[in-house]
Amino acid sequence: MLEGTLCNKHPIRTEQALKALLADTGGKKYYEEMKSLDVDRPLLWNTVEKTFKSRMRTWLEICAHCGLCADSCFFFRINDRDPQQVPAYKIQSTLGEIIRRKGNVDNTFMRMAMETAWAKCTCCNRCGLYCPHGIDVGAMFSYLRGLLYQQGFVPWELKIGSGMHRIYHAQMDVTDEEFAETCKWMAEEYQEDYPGLTIPMDKTGADILYTLNAREVKHYPEALAEAAILFHLAGEDWTVPRSGWELTNLAMFAGDWEACKMQVEHVYAAIERLKPKRMVGTECGHAHRATVVEGPYWAGRKSGSPPVESIHYIEWVAEALRTGKLKIDPKKRIKERVTLQDSCNYIRNNGLKEVAREIIGYIVEPGYFVEMSPNREHNHCCGGGGGLNGIGIFRKQRNKALITKRDQIIETGATLVIAPCHNCWDAIRDLEEKYCIGIRWSFLKTLLIDRVEVPEHLIMR
Amino acid sequence: MFQKILFATCLREACDHAARMAFDLAQKYDAHLYVFNVFGMPTHGYSQVVTDLITGDEVVLNEEYVDWVKEEIAEYCNQLLKKTKKYSFEVTIGFPHREILRFARLIDPDLIIMGGSTGDPEVSTYKRSIAGSTVQRVAKAAPCPVLVVGYPLPAFWGEYSNVVFGTDFSNASDAGFEFALRLLREQKLDCELHVFHALSDGVIQTGDTNAQEEIRDHIGKTKQQIKQKYDPWMEGLKQYFVEVRKGLPALEILKYADEKHADLIVLGPHTKKWEIIAKDHTSIFEQVIARSRCPVVSVNRFAQGKQD
Repeated sequence: MLEGTLCNKHPIRTEQALKALLADTGGKKYYEEMKSLDVDRPLLWNTVEKTFKSRMRTWLEICAHCGLCADSCFFFRINDRDPQQVPAYKIQSTLGEIIRRKGNVDNTFMRMAMETAWAKCTCCNRCGLYCPHGIDVGAMFSYLRGLLYQQGFVPWELKIGSGMHRIYHAQMDVTDEEFAETCKWMAEEYQEDYPGLTIPMDKTGADILYTLNAREVKHYPEALAEAAILFHLAGEDWTVPRSGWELTNLAMFAGDWEACKMQVEHVYAAIERLKPKRMVGTECGHAHRATVVEGPYWAGRKSGSPPVESIHYIEWVAEALRTGKLKIDPKKRIKERVTLQDSCNYIRNNGLKEVAREIIGYIVEPGYFVEMSPNREHNHCCGGGGGLNGIGIFRKQRNKALITKRDQIIETGATLVIAPCHNCWDAIRDLEEKYCIGIRWSFLKTLLIDRVEVPEHLIMR
Repeated sequence: MFQKILFATCLREACDHAARMAFDLAQKYDAHLYVFNVFGMPTHGYSQVVTDLITGDEVVLNEEYVDWVKEEIAEYCNQLLKKTKKYSFEVTIGFPHREILRFARLIDPDLIIMGGSTGDPEVSTYKRSIAGSTVQRVAKAAPCPVLVVGYPLPAFWGEYSNVVFGTDFSNASDAGFEFALRLLREQKLDCELHVFHALSDGVIQTGDTNAQEEIRDHIGKTKQQIKQKYDPWMEGLKQYFVEVRKGLPALEILKYADEKHADLIVLGPHTKKWEIIAKDHTSIFEQVIARSRCPVVSVNRFAQGKQD
């Protein structure tokens, strides 16, 4: 079985292997090796037989090829209505073919399937909303990604991403020690501005266990400080875990099922150890989907839920505003045309559409908020979901995919886009860089801190 | 006075005068000089790509590129390298202000030196995602004094005739005062120290009549306040002056510094973290460093601990 030194069927298991992969700038050697990577057909078919179950079998078989999913897909719309971009076609020509051929596919097929799975679908699940049979092509592409990963046909950045989770339990090379140091640093830096501010670590039995995104620790730790400030101002009893603080899961994008499970179990272990009343995750869509929505099933939890009630950051914000724990200074409400990016992963796929709008009602002056069209569960993906944002070889496709979101934003006339999701935030940042439409974009935390009233006893003297 | 100096540079013209100051100081104090450059900003989500902050190109990180950046630094510093052998080049990627602060936390320098604003539209995406200038953000949270040199130097360090210290009576101002005093004492400078305060328009609530009298009265009281606060520390200083004026603080400091032919302005920027990022808000400190013809030292509350 021909395999490369970098591109192969083996998951990353050592730091050395991860570094070797990282040293291959842009994945040049990796993709070269991929061209001659053999397909282990017995393994592929054996995996399908064990894991391809009645729900997906039914979906593939009952698809009437009616084409009603076509217009729901932003890839189809921005690629001149190319029939090869119809969701049903995309899944039938990849996963469907693997099934029909009983796994008897070759290297060229697998590389085509890889491009289709990562550059022609972001697993946004919008097509499933419009299919008369309720067929969820996004879910099937997630499954296909797993088959491709097992055979070594996965984009270089995502092999690295899932490898990071395997080595560091985080999407980036941030160790638990570095996380602890960053918490200490941020608390020190902001303590005088917010007297009494702390970032409690490993507190047992707190009301809230806060989990976040490694990129916040690595590149913009202000986001951690902002979360701490808001919990502090709201008077919350909260903590972060010394280990198990990473909510995100690039392994889900990569289709690395084993690492998916390892990562969520690591977070659940922190919950079991610290026994908080509930977990609040940062402003990240896929992290919520991975750890709160899908993770329990990966971890084999019969309840279908994490060990404690786990909510997205917008749910906590809405609750804090509703209960008066956080109060917005009416004079400081947003008074510019502003719109909201509905994240697929917790709006369409977890029903939080009205929660997001409840927050808008508090922080935006009436008359300034403009909905995108379409919106809520019908909203389009940012264009960079499902891991597409970070994949170099598919940058051209990703940049084109941003056009739908660009035009939606332009149509609103907004100068500010609220994006309470890391992936959406990144995509909107990139679309501004690429297309220069003159917008700003923001997470919620920064906007809240600019507007929230500081309780009398917490005012800096 | 300085054993470790961190020169944070963008390798552009805006840093040229700061570079000269950094190497001069390293030579004068036999200090180790860390020449630090943040060359790339993370982009495209979790990818390994960064945007080169000078060229704007998308770059995939590898050792070769890092070596190339270090060669660029060596070329940028060129003649200055003759001044000292105790230097090292440090490069990284990230958001510049945060990485400068992270490195400062690691090496615990005695002084950070930076250039003026680049005013470069090429990095507009970065500027709009992280509002507030790099200098301003570093000055706010640096663990040591931050010296900003934006224009050609009127004098060498230690050859000053006039130092202006602007106070707003905050803790940060106390740290600034300590630094100014220490500079004068340790360097045995035979120069004038001007302690200055600007009363902003909102401070004085004048009635319709006797407005000028009320202002004069307020200025007199503020001068007394300054004397009470700082006199006990002035022992041995022969040339110490107090001045209070009413107006826009940044403008008044700059005007006064100009009148006194100041060689150095010392400030303790007392700005709440979130105020510096408010839209259209430019702090007094940023206005001063943008327009001052002499170097400006910012000393914050963290740096106060450093001096003890």
